[in-house]
Amino acid sequence: MSEWLPPETESPEEAVPTTGPAVGRDEWVAREGERRVSRAGWAGTVEERLRRVPWWAWLTLFVAAGSLMPLFESSGYVRLVGFNTVIYMMLALGLNLVVGWGGLLDLGYLAFFGVGSYVYAIFDSAKFGYHVPSILIIPAATIVGALVGLLVGLPSRRLSGDYLAIVTLFFLELFETVATNGNQIFGHDITGGSFGISTVFPLSFAGHTLAVQHNGIFAVSYYYLAIVMFLIVYVALFFVNNSRTGRAWRSLREDPLAAEVMGMPVNWLKLMSFATGAGVAALAGTISTALNASVYPLNFSPVVLITIYAMVILGGSGSQPGVVIGAFLVSVLLQVLQDPGQARVLFYLVIAFGVIAAYRVSVRLAIVAASTAVFGIAAHAIAASFHHSWVDGAHGGLAGVLANWVVVPEQLTPWVGQVAYLFLLVGMLCATQLRGRLRLVALPPTLYLAAFVWENEMIPNPGPARYIVLGLLLIVLMIVRPNGLLGERRVEIN
Amino acid sequence: MKKAVVVAFAVIAASIVATAAHGGPKVAVASQSVSCSSTLQIAMVTPITGAAGFLGTEQLSWAKYAVSTLAPQMGLKIQLLQGDTPVEQGAAPALTLAQKYAADPKLVGIIGPSTSGDAEASAQTYFHAGIAQISPSATDTPLTYTVNGKRLGTPAFFRDVPANNVEGPTIAAYIANTLKAKNVVVFDFQEPYSQGLAASISSYLTSHGVNVTRLSAPNTTTDYSSYVTKVPGNTNVVVFPTQQPPAAQTFAEQLVEQGKSAVVFGGDGADAPAQFKYPGGYVANFAPDISGIPSDAGIVAGWKKANPTMTLGSFGPPTYGAVQIMLNAIKIACAQGKGTLKSRADVFHNVKKVTIKNWILGGTFKWSTKTNDPLNGHFYIFKIQSNGSYKLVN
Amino acid sequence: MSDRPTPSLSKHYPGESLQFFIQLSLDGLTIGSVYALVALGYTLIYGVLKLLNFAHGDVFMVGSFIGYGVLQALGGASNPVVPVWLLLVLVTLAAMAGCAVLGVVIERFAYRPLRNAPRIAPLISALGVSFFLSNSMQLEFGAQQFNYASYNLSGGALYFHGFDLDHVHIPLLRIITIGSAFALMVVLWFLVNRTRTGKAMRATSFDREAAAMLGIDIDRVIVFTFILGSALAGAAGVMFALRVPTFAAVGFTTGLKGFTAAVIGGIGSIPGAMVGGILLGCAESYTAGYWTTAWSDLVVFSILIAFMIFRPQGLFGRVDIRKV
Repeated sequence: MSEWLPPETESPEEAVPTTGPAVGRDEWVAREGERRVSRAGWAGTVEERLRRVPWWAWLTLFVAAGSLMPLFESSGYVRLVGFNTVIYMMLALGLNLVVGWGGLLDLGYLAFFGVGSYVYAIFDSAKFGYHVPSILIIPAATIVGALVGLLVGLPSRRLSGDYLAIVTLFFLELFETVATNGNQIFGHDITGGSFGISTVFPLSFAGHTLAVQHNGIFAVSYYYLAIVMFLIVYVALFFVNNSRTGRAWRSLREDPLAAEVMGMPVNWLKLMSFATGAGVAALAGTISTALNASVYPLNFSPVVLITIYAMVILGGSGSQPGVVIGAFLVSVLLQVLQDPGQARVLFYLVIAFGVIAAYRVSVRLAIVAASTAVFGIAAHAIAASFHHSWVDGAHGGLAGVLANWVVVPEQLTPWVGQVAYLFLLVGMLCATQLRGRLRLVALPPTLYLAAFVWENEMIPNPGPARYIVLGLLLIVLMIVRPNGLLGERRVEIN
Repeated sequence: MKKAVVVAFAVIAASIVATAAHGGPKVAVASQSVSCSSTLQIAMVTPITGAAGFLGTEQLSWAKYAVSTLAPQMGLKIQLLQGDTPVEQGAAPALTLAQKYAADPKLVGIIGPSTSGDAEASAQTYFHAGIAQISPSATDTPLTYTVNGKRLGTPAFFRDVPANNVEGPTIAAYIANTLKAKNVVVFDFQEPYSQGLAASISSYLTSHGVNVTRLSAPNTTTDYSSYVTKVPGNTNVVVFPTQQPPAAQTFAEQLVEQGKSAVVFGGDGADAPAQFKYPGGYVANFAPDISGIPSDAGIVAGWKKANPTMTLGSFGPPTYGAVQIMLNAIKIACAQGKGTLKSRADVFHNVKKVTIKNWILGGTFKWSTKTNDPLNGHFYIFKIQSNGSYKLVN
Repeated sequence: MSDRPTPSLSKHYPGESLQFFIQLSLDGLTIGSVYALVALGYTLIYGVLKLLNFAHGDVFMVGSFIGYGVLQALGGASNPVVPVWLLLVLVTLAAMAGCAVLGVVIERFAYRPLRNAPRIAPLISALGVSFFLSNSMQLEFGAQQFNYASYNLSGGALYFHGFDLDHVHIPLLRIITIGSAFALMVVLWFLVNRTRTGKAMRATSFDREAAAMLGIDIDRVIVFTFILGSALAGAAGVMFALRVPTFAAVGFTTGLKGFTAAVIGGIGSIPGAMVGGILLGCAESYTAGYWTTAWSDLVVFSILIAFMIFRPQGLFGRVDIRKV
C-alpha cells in the first residue's frame, strides 16, 4: 500500500528560512520553495519521477491492488472489512467535498447517509412489500439525498462557521428522532421505528438477485460493486474539482467575502456543495443497506460521524487521495484495535518507531531504550517478589514473552488501573513539555506505564480503547499537522 | 521537527497496514477438522461499550469466570474471545464479527449475540458456517418461533432464557390479576427491548379492562421529572422497562417526591438489587436471584472474588449457563468424534442433547422439544422489601 | 426504614390545572438551571476564544464523577461522616476544583497550540478531547449509571422538606439546585463585571488583539476563563447528579443542550446563557407535559433550528460586524 503514498516533500519552512506563509504571501508564493528545492542524489530523482506519475495511474494502481485482494483472501471477514472500508472511502470523499473544498462545517453529514439508507430500505424490503429494481432505486435515493442536502443547505445562506455546524448537528439529531419515532407518524409506520427495517432485499439487476453471502461467506460481488461506485465517485469528483465550480468552491473556502465581492454566486455554490456531498453519502447508504439487509436509527449516531471526520482530517481535508488514505487507515485501525494480538503488535511498533523518529539513531535513543528495558525488568522483579499472581496474567505468544517485562497481574485491582491511567496521562503531558535531559529521564517510566496500561486495560477493553486512540489521534494531528497526511497547505486569513 | 512528524505518521500508517496483513484471519473452511486437545475458541458477542456496556460487562465477567472454572474441569482448553457490538452502531458490528468468527476455524461456538437485533442480523452467517449460538439475553420471540410465517433465527440459534412472549403476559397478568390495578402507565424508551415489552403488556392489560396510558421517552432522556409530573395521580402501577436500574430507582423516588403512590414495575433490565431497591417496587426476570439457591453459593462466591467491584445482576447467571451448555456440547461432540471435531457443526448438532443438573438458575436444565428455548421457561416476579431485598412473589 | 413516606399533599392534578403548570415549571427550572450553568461555560469560552468547546459537556460529566467519588469517600449518602450541608458543599467544591484543573489542562494541551490555526482545527481538537474524556471514563469506571442516592441523605430530608406552593410540594433539593445555580450566576456576574480580571476578559472577548496591545496578558485571561467555565460545569455536574444518575456518555447530550441554551441566549452573552438555559428547560418540560413525550426532542430541536436561522445572534447577542 505504501507505494500509494506520494513522496515526502521538503516543507517550505525548512527549505526557506522564513516561517511559513505569512500575511501578504499567497499560497502560490508560499509554495515557491517547495517547487524549487528537491532532494539531492538518487532520492531526489526518484521523488521527481514519482511526482510526475499522473493521478489516474495512482488511482488505477490503488484500485487494482484493492481488486486483487479477494484473490488472496477468501475470508468473508476481510472482504466485509474491505467493503466497509470502501463505503467509508466514499463517505470521506463526499465529506471532503463539503468540508475540504466548500469549507462548510457540516456536522449533519451522516443524516444524508441515513436518507439514502432509508429510501432504499423503504422501497426495497419485505416490510412494506415494495421491490423497486436496484437500477431505479439507487439513483432515486441519491437524488432524494441530494435534495434533502439542498434543503438543509438553505440555512447555510445565512449562517457561517460554528453556527452552521450546530444547525447541521441539530439536523442529525432531528433525523435520528424522526427515524426512531417514524413508526407512528400520524398513525402510519414509515421507518419501522427503533426496530428499524430488518427485511431489506439484496440488490437485484434485471431480475437477477445479488446474494449477500454464499454459505455464510460474504459475497465478493458486493465488494467489487462498491469499488466500481467508489471509482465513479472519485473520478466524477476529480473533474468537478478541476472545473469552474471546483475552483469557485475553493475560493469560497479561502475567503467567502472575497468570493462574494468577486461576483461569485456564493449561496448557490454553498447549496451545490451541500447537495453534491449529500448525494454521495446517500449513494453509499443504498449499497451499504443492501448489504446489511437492515437499517436501524442507531446506525447514524454521532460516533460514526466523528469517525468519518477523523478520516478526512487524518488524510488531509481538501485532498482526494488524502481522504481515501485516511479512510483506509482509520477503518483498518479500528479493526486492528479490536483484535488483542494485532493491537499488541501495533502498539509496540508505534512506540518503537515513534521513539526512533524522535531521536533518530543516536546515543539518546540507546539510553531511552536501555533504561526503559531496565526499568521494566526492575518493576517486574519487584512485583514478582510480592506474589507470583501479580505477574501471572498473560500466557502464550508475544503476550507471554512480554509478560517477562510488563507486569500483567492475574486480576488487576481496579484502583491500580485507574491510578496507572491517571499517572500515564500526567506523564504523557509532562513528556511533551520537558526538553533535553529531563525528557530523557521522564520518558522511560512513561513508556513503561503506557505498556502497562495498554496490556492491562486497553487490550482487555477494546471498545473504549479504540475511541480513546481515535480521540488522541485527532488532538495530536491537529497540533502537529493540521493539514493531515496529504492536505493542502492553506493560507489562513482570520 | 515537522519532517520527523511526517516520517512518524508514515511509519504509523505502514505499521497499521503491516499489522493488519500479518494478523488477518486466513482462509476458513467451515468443515475443517479440529483436534479437541488443541485450544478451541468460543466468543462472547455483546455490547461491551456504549450505553448498554453495563450489560455486556456483566455478561463478559460471568463468561470469563465460567470458562476459567468449567473448562479445566471438563478437560477442555478453551479461549474466550470478546466481540463488542455497541448498540449505538446498530447491527453492523455484529455482522462484521460474524464474518470474522466464521473465518476462524478454531472458533466452535458463540455465546450471544446478546441483543435480539444483532442475533437476527448475524443468524444466517453463523448457521451457514456451522456455528452454534447460545444467547443468554436475546428474547425477541421470532428468533425461535415462527411469527407471521417468518422465523428470524436459524436451527443453530439457541437461548437459555424464555422469550418475550412469556415475559410480557407474565408481567401483565400479575398486574391485572394479583395487584388488581385499575390505572396503569406503561413506559417505553424508544428502543426495541422496551417497545416490544410495552406493546405486549399494554395489549394484554387493555384486553383485561385495565386503563392504560402509554408514555414514550427518547432514549437519550436523563431527567424524567416532567414524565413523573405527567403520571396521573390515580395511577396504581407504572411499568418502567428500563435497562438502567438506577433510572428506575430515581423514578420511584421522584414519584414519591410528588406525592404519587404508584408502584414502579421494572422488567428484567431493572433487576439489580444494589441499584433498584425502592421498597414496594417490582421486577420481573428470567432468572431467580441466584444468591438464594444453595447449590450456587460456591459459584457466586468465586465470581465475587474474581470481580470484587461488581454487583450480582440478572444478566450474568444465564451467561454462565450458556457457557456451561456450550462446553457440554463441545464435550459430547468430542466424545463422538473420538478426540476430533470433524467440523464445528458437530457442536451445534449436539447442543440440544445437553441437560444440566443443578442448573445455575435452579432445578434441572432441559431444552424444549419444539423450539430452541428452555423447557418450561418461566419469568419470575420479585417484590422489593422494605430493606431493599428482593422477594420472589410469582 | 418505613415503607412509603406519605406527604400530605394533593396527589392528582389534572392536565389543565394550575398545579400541573407549576409542577412543570418547577421541573423545567430544575433542569434548566443545570443547562444554564453548562451554557455559561460555553458562552465564556466562546467569548474569549471564539471556540465551540465540544468537550465542555464531558467536563460536566467528569465533574459529576468527581462528586460521586468524594461522596463515597465521605461515607456515601446513607451514613455520611460529616453533616449534610457540609457534605454537599464539599462535594460541589471538589467537583468545581477538579474540573477547573481539567479545564486548564485541556486548554494548555489541546487548544493553546492551535491558537493561530485555522478555525476548524480547535473544533476538531475539541471533538477529540470529548471522545477521549468520555471513553477514558468508560474504560476506568465502566458504562453503568452511578447514583448519588441523595434520597437517602438524612432520611429523605432533601425530598420531603421544603415548602408548598398552591398545593405543589417544592422539595429542598430543588430549592438547593435552583438556588445555588442562581448564586453561582451572581458570583460569575460579579467576577466578570466588577473585577479587573473580569474587565480584561471582556476586553479580550471584544477584541483580542487590541486587548493584547493594551497590555492585557491574554494567556492569563484565557486560563482564567477556562477555570471559571469548567468550575461551573463541575458544579452543574453535581447538581445534575444529585437528582439523576450519571454515566460516562452523559456529557454529549447535556453538552448539546447547554450549547443550545447558550445559542438561544446569544452566544457570548452571560445573562443570555442564564435565560437560555431556563427557557430550554421549560420548553422541554412543557412540550413533554402538554403535548408529546415521544417527539419532545423533535420539537426542541426544530425550535432551535428556526431560532438559529431567523435570529442567529440569539436573544441577547450582538450582531457581529465583520471587518474586512
